[in-house]
Amino acid sequence: MLEIATVFDFTHDMVILVVGLTAVLASLGVVLCSSPIYCALYLIGHMICLALLFLLYNAEFLAVVQIIVYAGAVMILFLFIIALLGGKKEVQENSLHRSMALAFVFTLLGELYLSATVGPTQQVHGEIPPELFGTAKAIGLELFSKHLVAFELASALLLVAAVGVICLAKFSFAPLRRRVR
Amino acid sequence: MGQEFVLLISASIFCVGAAGFIIRRNPLIMFMSVELMLNSVNFLLITYSSFLNSLDGQIFALFIMTVAAAEVVVGLAIILTIFRTRHDLDVDHIDMLKG
Repeated sequence: MLEIATVFDFTHDMVILVVGLTAVLASLGVVLCSSPIYCALYLIGHMICLALLFLLYNAEFLAVVQIIVYAGAVMILFLFIIALLGGKKEVQENSLHRSMALAFVFTLLGELYLSATVGPTQQVHGEIPPELFGTAKAIGLELFSKHLVAFELASALLLVAAVGVICLAKFSFAPLRRRVR
Repeated sequence: MGQEFVLLISASIFCVGAAGFIIRRNPLIMFMSVELMLNSVNFLLITYSSFLNSLDGQIFALFIMTVAAAEVVVGLAIILTIFRTRHDLDVDHIDMLKG
């Protein structure tokens, strides 16, 4: 007879397996679809899968942030831009890029195989109690005690990005004259 | 789940994103591929923060999300400006800076 704990672990592993494979398939859909709107929809699915994976690995705060920031704000921005520019399909003619990309992928996978032969990282027991791990409280404590300067710098980065976008979008430049070939 | 599986998933997503960045010529989809790569690294950081029982990985992932959001916003504004002046979105045709 199986123990309850092993059954729970098995189910946990299977859920992680299925969600991870779905995330990989969705990322393939992003790259292989020819129409940008389908790419954006696949990317939203990918973000949601990753949020589920974050949740399964005890990062509930970051899962919520992932849903709100990525699947919410960033993808809505992408969809607006696609709607504004018109989602034209692209034609793929040169196969040099494709073979280059394939070579790159296989090189990376080979490097992954080499690095996986080093062996797994040893699990350690830190100072954070397990019931608090990954919650907004723990992250806030960590963020405002150890990483305060980086946090303030991140706010400055966001402000600079906002000012830059307003400058780019508001002041319309005169169209550049085409170069005569 | 074992660490090898997590490494494999993350590396596959990163490779797909990198390949997409090389293959595709629509700058919007190139940006989406960059998002894929950033997300795979985020996933790896969060899983290893769970394995190592330390919150530093999650803090790092939070900062990566901040930088990615800023990068996407500025990049989309640049794409919009290019489209306004050129009425063309193929990155192979945008070669005005080439000497």
